[in-house]
Amino acid sequence: MPEVADRARVALGARHREARALAGRAQRARALARQLARFVVLQPLGAIGAVIVLALIVTAILAPQLAPHGAKDAAFAPYLPPSAEFPMGTDNIGRDVLSRVIWGARLSLYVGLVSVAFGITLGALWGVVAAYFGGAADSVSQRLVDMLMALPPIILALSLMAALGQSVNNVIIALALLLIPTAARTLRSVALSIKETPYVEAARASGCSHWRVIFLHVLPNTFATYVVLFTVNIAYAIVVEAALSFLGLGAPPDEPSWGGMLTAGTQAMETAPWMIFFPGLAISLTVFGLNLLGDAIRDLTDPRLRGGLG
Amino acid sequence: MIKRSPVLALTLSVLLVAATVFVAGAQEKPRYGGILNWYVYGDPGRLDIHAESPLSVQQALAGIYSGLLQADPDDPTKIAHDLAERWTASPDGKTYTFHLRKGVKWHDGQPFSSADVKASFDRVLNPSFKSPRCGSMLKPMVASVEVVDPHTVQFNLKFPAAPFIPSMASAWCRVVAKHVLDKHGDLVKPEAQIGTGPFKFKRYERGNVIEWEKNKDYFVKGLPYLDGVKQFILVGVPTQVAAAKAGRIHLWDTWPPLRKTEADELLRARGDQIEITQNSIATIALVYMHTQKPPFNNPDIRRAVNLAIDRQELVAKAFEGAGVACALLDPKLYGDFALPLDEVQKLPGCRQPKDQDIAEAKRLVEKHHPNGVDIEAAVRSVGGYVDRAQLILAQLRKIGIRGTLKTFESAAGFAVYGKGDFTFITIQDRAMVTTDPSDMFALMYTTGAGSNWGKWSDPKVDELAGRALRETNRDKRKQIYLELQRHILTAPVSAVPVAWVEGFHYKDKRVRGHKWATTVYDNNTFMKVWLAQ
Repeated sequence: MPEVADRARVALGARHREARALAGRAQRARALARQLARFVVLQPLGAIGAVIVLALIVTAILAPQLAPHGAKDAAFAPYLPPSAEFPMGTDNIGRDVLSRVIWGARLSLYVGLVSVAFGITLGALWGVVAAYFGGAADSVSQRLVDMLMALPPIILALSLMAALGQSVNNVIIALALLLIPTAARTLRSVALSIKETPYVEAARASGCSHWRVIFLHVLPNTFATYVVLFTVNIAYAIVVEAALSFLGLGAPPDEPSWGGMLTAGTQAMETAPWMIFFPGLAISLTVFGLNLLGDAIRDLTDPRLRGGLG
Repeated sequence: MIKRSPVLALTLSVLLVAATVFVAGAQEKPRYGGILNWYVYGDPGRLDIHAESPLSVQQALAGIYSGLLQADPDDPTKIAHDLAERWTASPDGKTYTFHLRKGVKWHDGQPFSSADVKASFDRVLNPSFKSPRCGSMLKPMVASVEVVDPHTVQFNLKFPAAPFIPSMASAWCRVVAKHVLDKHGDLVKPEAQIGTGPFKFKRYERGNVIEWEKNKDYFVKGLPYLDGVKQFILVGVPTQVAAAKAGRIHLWDTWPPLRKTEADELLRARGDQIEITQNSIATIALVYMHTQKPPFNNPDIRRAVNLAIDRQELVAKAFEGAGVACALLDPKLYGDFALPLDEVQKLPGCRQPKDQDIAEAKRLVEKHHPNGVDIEAAVRSVGGYVDRAQLILAQLRKIGIRGTLKTFESAAGFAVYGKGDFTFITIQDRAMVTTDPSDMFALMYTTGAGSNWGKWSDPKVDELAGRALRETNRDKRKQIYLELQRHILTAPVSAVPVAWVEGFHYKDKRVRGHKWATTVYDNNTFMKVWLAQ
């Protein structure tokens, strides 16, 4: 009998836990919904940006399902104007422009996200380590940043692409290298103030190693700035990728890059304006969305500006 | 008394006016002065006319050098004298004697003599000197060059060869100065461009412009009419079309010709000021596979590529219909030396519909690469190559060959191809130097030929091409060339013929004295061209 009672108690306990978990989840969902609603009210433009970015992400993920044809299939007549069958027309060698724009979202997002993740993260580490140790190491590293920043970004990117060769991964490397100095400079300035805070001093006084202090106390506190830099620079990376592809030094020409599609479109601007209109629109919308979202996140995380989520 | 007839009077008046206009037109006096604006599709890089093969090099130097013979500026289908006043052939056809003009001076003032001719052709014929155009054509035919006297030079042939005179008149067999060769060693740099042509080499600004200025001491008195020629380096068809639409270019007569869409755009913009003509430019588009590098060292894979390429789709889409698909020799240019198109279009690889050939190609690829094969596909990013290359890669994906495009700047691409540093050249045009059928085989298909970049070697091709060169009977020669074409079109070649390129050229109505040539290299010295007000 006691076994039965035990089993009953266990079952009851499990049900309680389940109920508590459910209640917790509901609470969290309600809180998130409240936060989202507040975000929409406080940052309506940011919300529009978020919707555009979300649409871009969904398009990129579901490209194989959404695109009616392959991005590289030149299976149709060239220069067909937009119609029910080809809503964005066909290009100069008979590819469906809609399918290429959809696959282009995947390429743009991939290049944007990966290059920014690498560039900003490496830059952040560089900036934080330099700020923390200071002294000669900081001076030397900052002069190096000065040197990189002195080069016009597009020229630097073009030179890197010319040296590395045309491929999507090389575009990512070139873009990441472009982003490192900006991130290093920005995160260094944030880390300089964090370094002087009492909790960092306390950590050091209690015998924490330098690397422990950097990784557990300084770096996590630069996160807000990191997120803002990340969001804003995705748009920048997408535009630079498009520019590189437009100049013929980005992704290989048959890859569905929006910038590359613009180049192909310039061959027949009068005959087939849809070849530049739709990829151009895709670039503009994406950058617009990312900029709106980035601005909103910056506003929300900047304590000097009103309207934080609190 | 003669009865007056108003009809007769009117007819006579019209005839009189027409005759006046005709005479005035025919006697239109050339005007001196002015700069002709032309363009070139890319940077020529190295300027050695004997050692290079790109059109950009020939274009850069077209008006600078003279040959012994040339395409007649008044009728480029004929051959005319240039530095040679006249020439004679021995009865056995094995010795040609050229009598040179007297009093000709190089652009630096030095006198021209037969020693310069000997130095030029000894250089081109030197077995260890790579001369992909003139050398490729002359080496199989010419045994030696001898100086008879300062104004006479003699060419001794290995056998009587019909293509000898057309080759000598080609724009690549130019005479260069011995003293310049002695001084510079080669002709790569702008300062080594000392010729006897109607224009002097003034300036080469990389990526921007090539300029010539009038040679006031030109050996044809009263020529040239122009003060100079400017060739803007315009990479990319959109830039070229934009420059034409803006009226910055007077004349376009070489490669790449405009496609119909571009010609229509130009006609809409400047139809009242220019003439547009559809031309064949004696240029063939080819796909190259390197026969010593995997996967194309396997003849089955080369055969698969040959079967899979849809030439008709390429002509329809990338050439916008202006081209002759499949032919190894274009009947329009080579007449009955060319295999009839009816026969060519029934051959595997060219026949339509493609289903049977694609299935066979797929089987061949699967046999050696069950999961398909990845290749790096080179392409020069000039003209319409990148568009064509994307179409070809789409066609090859159907049979399991997945290509990644690697683009090259014009001169860099040629350097890579020449060195054999490629696996697959996705598309490349090769222009013929003359319209003799021997050109195609001497330049592309015989062992070690100047543009046999994929290093294909087939004893039967060498034997037939050699025999055709020696054959003096036209009918027999024709039969050999037909056999050669049948063999190459079905063999696992390195260079797959895709189509003969055609397209549109334009000329500002103020440009006078210019005649469209048969090849892209001929008649571009501009010696008789002038600009009306």
